[in-house]
Amino acid sequence: MTFAALAFANLLRTPGRTIVRVVVLAAAVALVGAMILFIGHSLRTMTSSSVRSVPLDWQAPVASRPAAERAALAVSKQHGVLDALPVATAPFAGAIHVKPGTGIFRSASGSILAVPETYTQNIHTIRFLRGSLRPGQVVLDQQLAATLQAQPGDLVSFTAKAGRRPVRLRVSGISVVSAGDILFQPLNPLLGPAPAQPPVETAVMTVGTFAQKLAPQLPTIASSSGLPGIPGSVPGTQWQVQAQVDPAQLTGGPAQALRQATGLRNRIQSSLPGQVNFVDNLSESLNTATGDALYAETLYIMLALPGALIALGLAYLAALGTVERDRRELSLLRARGASRRGLVALAGIESLFVGIVAGILGSGIALLALRLVHVGRGPLTLWRVVATVGGCVVLAVLGAAAARLGAGAAALRGEVAEGRRPQRPRRPLWQKLYLDVAALAVSGLVYWLTARTGFSAVVNPDSNPTLSLSIYMFLAPALLWLGAALLLVRLRGALLETVARRVTGGRARTLSGLLLASAGRRSAAINRGLLLVGLLLAFGVNLGVFASTYDQQARVDAQLTLGADIVASAPAEALKAHALEQKIAHVQGVAGTTALDHSYAYVGPDLQDTFGVNASTVTSGTTLRDSYFIGGTANHLLAELRAHRDGILVSKETVTDYSLNIGDLLKLRVLDHATGRLRVTPFHVVGIVQEFPSAPRDSFMVTNLDYLLSVTHDPGPNVVFAKTHGDAAAVAKRVGAVARPAGASVKDITTQTAQTVSSITTVDMSGIAKIEEAFVVILAAAAMALFVVLGLAERKHEFATMASIGSSVREISAFLWSEVAIVLAGGLALAALLGWLLAEMLVAMLQHVFDPPPDHLAAPWLFLVGLAVAAVLGALLTTVAAGLRLRRLPLGEILREQ
Amino acid sequence: MTSVSACRELVVEYGHGDGRVRALDHVSLDVAPGERLALRGRSGSGKTTLLHALGGLVEPTGGEVELEGRPLATLDEEARRRMRATRIAYVFQGANLLPTFTGFENVAFAIRAAASPDAPTDPLMLLGLVGLAGKAEHLPGEMSGGERQRVALARALGQHPGLLLCDEPTGQLDSDTGARILDLIDALQREFGFALVTATHDEDVAARHDRVVELEEGRVVRESA
Repeated sequence: MTFAALAFANLLRTPGRTIVRVVVLAAAVALVGAMILFIGHSLRTMTSSSVRSVPLDWQAPVASRPAAERAALAVSKQHGVLDALPVATAPFAGAIHVKPGTGIFRSASGSILAVPETYTQNIHTIRFLRGSLRPGQVVLDQQLAATLQAQPGDLVSFTAKAGRRPVRLRVSGISVVSAGDILFQPLNPLLGPAPAQPPVETAVMTVGTFAQKLAPQLPTIASSSGLPGIPGSVPGTQWQVQAQVDPAQLTGGPAQALRQATGLRNRIQSSLPGQVNFVDNLSESLNTATGDALYAETLYIMLALPGALIALGLAYLAALGTVERDRRELSLLRARGASRRGLVALAGIESLFVGIVAGILGSGIALLALRLVHVGRGPLTLWRVVATVGGCVVLAVLGAAAARLGAGAAALRGEVAEGRRPQRPRRPLWQKLYLDVAALAVSGLVYWLTARTGFSAVVNPDSNPTLSLSIYMFLAPALLWLGAALLLVRLRGALLETVARRVTGGRARTLSGLLLASAGRRSAAINRGLLLVGLLLAFGVNLGVFASTYDQQARVDAQLTLGADIVASAPAEALKAHALEQKIAHVQGVAGTTALDHSYAYVGPDLQDTFGVNASTVTSGTTLRDSYFIGGTANHLLAELRAHRDGILVSKETVTDYSLNIGDLLKLRVLDHATGRLRVTPFHVVGIVQEFPSAPRDSFMVTNLDYLLSVTHDPGPNVVFAKTHGDAAAVAKRVGAVARPAGASVKDITTQTAQTVSSITTVDMSGIAKIEEAFVVILAAAAMALFVVLGLAERKHEFATMASIGSSVREISAFLWSEVAIVLAGGLALAALLGWLLAEMLVAMLQHVFDPPPDHLAAPWLFLVGLAVAAVLGALLTTVAAGLRLRRLPLGEILREQ
Repeated sequence: MTSVSACRELVVEYGHGDGRVRALDHVSLDVAPGERLALRGRSGSGKTTLLHALGGLVEPTGGEVELEGRPLATLDEEARRRMRATRIAYVFQGANLLPTFTGFENVAFAIRAAASPDAPTDPLMLLGLVGLAGKAEHLPGEMSGGERQRVALARALGQHPGLLLCDEPTGQLDSDTGARILDLIDALQREFGFALVTATHDEDVAARHDRVVELEEGRVVRESA
């Protein structure tokens, strides 16, 4: 009989044990496989989201229209470029609309965007609300249209420069220019992107119309670099080439996509020397996404790896279930002349069979799991499937071999007689060195050290993200896992043993006494079960609490990013003219509203977002947390604003940079819409704000709405925040019906939360969390079942002896389920303690990722209860099955074995 | 007089298909109360199988086994359990002590399982009978082979059996220890009056019994008093 046939026969001889080994190994590799697939998918998603979030990939300043057209044509023919077009930006001094019967409406200075007619096919910086772009005509941005009270079909006169003859153009449409900060930014390829304050008034026309009608009146500037990015500062026409990269060329994770994008840009620039030097908005976004991707990968690994290791531990346990019997068998085989090489070959081939089946099963489970959570809807290529199956099979074979050969190692090394003697346990080296205590101590130390530094992590500024500090940060939970596991191994159930010895004194007589005595002396085996079940449940608790807290913060973050449950944005005139705030307040499902003005102001040379709020009503429309402010609660600082008309809340960085104190005078330059110029305006600092709904991560300011409007001469607020009862998306539809006809855009928090943008806090945890939670629940049931099955297998001879003495099946079963109960109770307690501790540690370590940081952990009670129920059910069902098995034990056959 | 245990045309087979083995081939036997019977034969002769069949540990393939005049096949699970708890006790070759119990607890377990008003109730007394009162709190792993066998005897006595079945009780012991064990069994048998059936390959061990039944290839080939 060949080794292969022998190994196969051996596996078939113990079908139950073989199935258990295969199933547990399959679960372990499925978890790892699912994690790897999910990470790959998430990284690809981050790439595509990052690319989608950039409305305009590349901009290259050129000297003239012919140069722009030549360069655009050349760039558009390059492989990897979706489109490249010649574009111009220029200022205008003013616009006039004479409305018969109504009056004359004038605008302040603004900016012109001249684009080809095919511009919006591939570049989405303009969205037409009405009409379209036509040669010889003009499209007004909605703000300008509101200022001029103009509609499509009206005639509007533009003055390119003061003192020049106005040019009359018919209005062909109304649009929203959504990327004004990028379109009109100063273009300096050396410095890269420098988003500017978008112009208030914008007009869009074809390149031909601009070149014919307005460009002759304006000087052409070679480059706007060096000019401040504020409206009115660019004195002439800036010709440029705008290009979009083909998203299909950017594959893989953000880091890989960044390399591809950078390489493409460099190739194009070097193939067109002197013609184009791009300002790369795309790489800027991908660079940010790369840093986030690194955190995402680390996060996933931290969340999934312990589970996978524990599952592999279960597989190891399944294989080692009858280690003593295996050791005796192998020793007997050696006594009958089998060589060591032959035994190793036999064990290896067995592992190969088990590993192949487990690997195929596990990879199938991983692929199915991803499908079920609607992840990986994109092409699951043949290569990916093959790689997944191959990887899982290799992992499963290695796991099976490690367990099998580990079981036989002692027999293979030692003498035959030694193999047949019961093994006396020897203290391993790590116990002598107290590595478990050391790991726990180092874990605490790393946690304390990283807590002191504020949990910040470093990303190498050379766009080459490294995990230098992040690795140390994650050492704390990793060492906590390791130290806890080793400590449990060291204890070997010493507590139970001590209690049993004290209570029974070696002379138990009652059933409960005998149960306790038996459990005490089997404390090592019980501890083994407790170790795996407890760590597995702890992993589940850690995962569930972290994922739940993460989701909670994602919602908070979405609200902070968006501003409120529902946000309606419109030009100030439109908001006021249509009384939008009042209309929205009366929509069914809206709980409260507040209007605010989002504008900009200069603090020294720094342009900062400025929010004018009604301090009395702001909390009606949005939630303000105390953690958003420093030095006072939200209520206190709002009261300060109410008490000081010119009061302003500034960021901590502004306080530090300008050495400000509370009460200090702060002079800001704000844009006066009446004149179109900046004017110096006094404010007084009343507090420090670090977060505010819809505010950017950079420094920003919050002041009183009425004071801000009085100095900017803005007609009114341009944003409405609304709180909702129930489903925000449904309410947003109703708000949209009211607000959109007025030209407002409406967003809701449900849609915002669901969007995956290039930020770790909106990386979709729900997919991987669902997969892992499902695995943990199944593994929890399997772990308890495995413990029962192993207990029955290990004590079969003992139970047969009990039966031969006349003990009832009920009493014999009690020796099984009492241990199960101890493992379950201990496991649940360990899970609660260790799992919660790990979740606290992980959440604390990712404080800088959560924006804002969580006030408290969120407990997913449904999942936690489900996890406990799964473990209990797994134990219960298997114990009942074991009881039935006990009834049918072949006593004679078992008792013949010595 | 009703036999303590008996079998009629007993057939026991193991395995399946080509691997099927007939361990006992139409064996008939009676064990009288208080009788000392030895089952002698080489390894594989069927003596252990016959011992287990008499004790109800093995299901016959054919024929019948009776315990105190009652066919085993007519007894339900609880009745069989009661039989094993109170009427039949075993001493196995390797003692088969419960490894997670001390000597005291092994005996106490059997007393508890028997729960018979006639059975002894004090494990220490029984351990004293076998000379191991001082090892009451020792685990089987902390005892010698002979000591384990003596605890097994004490455990058997805890069931107050009518029939004691011993399977090679001295098989794993040296000759001196084995002789002492046999002397102890003899003394206890005289004291308590149970029937004794011993499976052994040893002629000298067999000679200590009132009757010797020799087995070969599952058949009774000779009986001698």
